[in-house]
Amino acid sequence: MSNINGKVYAMNAITPMKPWKTWILRLIFFILGRVKPLQSDLINLSFIEFARWVVVPRDKFPMLGNGQQPEKLKYDYLLFFSNFNGTWNQYIDAFSAVLSKGLNLIWQWSEKFPGSVPVTIFKEYIARVQFDTDYYYTAYPHATANDLKSAHIVQASFDSLSQSAASISSEQFANDYLNFVIQVQSHLGETGEAPVVF
Amino acid sequence: MPNQNGSVYGLTILSPIIDDEKAAPSHDLQIRKYLATLPTGEDSPFAKAPGTHLARLVVMDDVVYVGMPSCEEHLNSKYLIFESNLDASADGGIDAYLADLAQNIPEHLDAIWSHCVGYPGASNPRAFIDYMKSCQLTTTFFFAAVNDKSVPDTLRALQTQRAVTDFIASHQGMEPARLQQEFIQFASELKAMPIPPAGSMAPRRAIKTGGRNE
Repeated sequence: MSNINGKVYAMNAITPMKPWKTWILRLIFFILGRVKPLQSDLINLSFIEFARWVVVPRDKFPMLGNGQQPEKLKYDYLLFFSNFNGTWNQYIDAFSAVLSKGLNLIWQWSEKFPGSVPVTIFKEYIARVQFDTDYYYTAYPHATANDLKSAHIVQASFDSLSQSAASISSEQFANDYLNFVIQVQSHLGETGEAPVVF
Repeated sequence: MPNQNGSVYGLTILSPIIDDEKAAPSHDLQIRKYLATLPTGEDSPFAKAPGTHLARLVVMDDVVYVGMPSCEEHLNSKYLIFESNLDASADGGIDAYLADLAQNIPEHLDAIWSHCVGYPGASNPRAFIDYMKSCQLTTTFFFAAVNDKSVPDTLRALQTQRAVTDFIASHQGMEPARLQQEFIQFASELKAMPIPPAGSMAPRRAIKTGGRNE
């Protein structure tokens, strides 16, 4: 079991939903996917590298024959997979504090969802519906979501300066270099092993 | 397309695990045992097959019962979940990605998925791709913090970030003509450096905080 690799935590959760409610959730996700400002809190939290929600209708679990018994379910299921930085408690706390309305909008259609506030009951629910990861890989275990964003900003600024560096005067270069340092100065954080959190 | 966000593709596969009461240990346990031994760093199979940002493999034993008044129900099969966040910018998209897996890490795929119902083996790439896609679920909503960069782009950017940090720190207050010369040289060397291997940790470096961490 390995929910953690470097600075990333893999969360898996599954919650049952009455089938008629899944259509409401699909509509919510449809709108969320097209109206980008609605994702601003999720983006600004900036500790999720990738996340996905998958609605699995009760009769759409992969059925391959070869002796496999078909599923006979009453509920549709909502699968949630997240790749986030930090600890489980930090993640749930931040979700509850910053995204409570958004979370309620997504999970209130699941059975017995208690709401994302107060956080104690919310954490009990998450712990109940979460299941552990057996194998977890990341191409950049030493980097967080913020590191990735910062690294790409540094790369773009660096590419721009290095393209012009050989063809300008040293005075002009000194000026451009200063602007470059100003552009990247807040994006030069250290990447490396994750801090130990108790 | 909900499976894709920018140039990143969210692949979700649920493969039913063989339910054979005569198998000892059971097939789900054999998968778990194998996964427990699989390296997660730069020796990971997913580091050898190009295009994987993050991926996980999970044995899902059952659905969850959340308590009364909801109904208790159970799955008839256990499922192996393969969740991958991959580059879809290359030609061929998901088919090309799966074909790369079959070509680069067939022994791992066979060791894991041979415990799943109907798995044809990775030696026949077309059958392997068809099998994986028959187990694929459509993602309802996919979020990616960075959705326009490939894995090599990201590994190179992290390398650049680290090198630029060192360069700036060691060239403070330098006379402009020499700074320009050294920057051009530095940019040239950095461009020529190989991209760090996927899955590797950054090289260790002493942290010079001057603060209480020391």
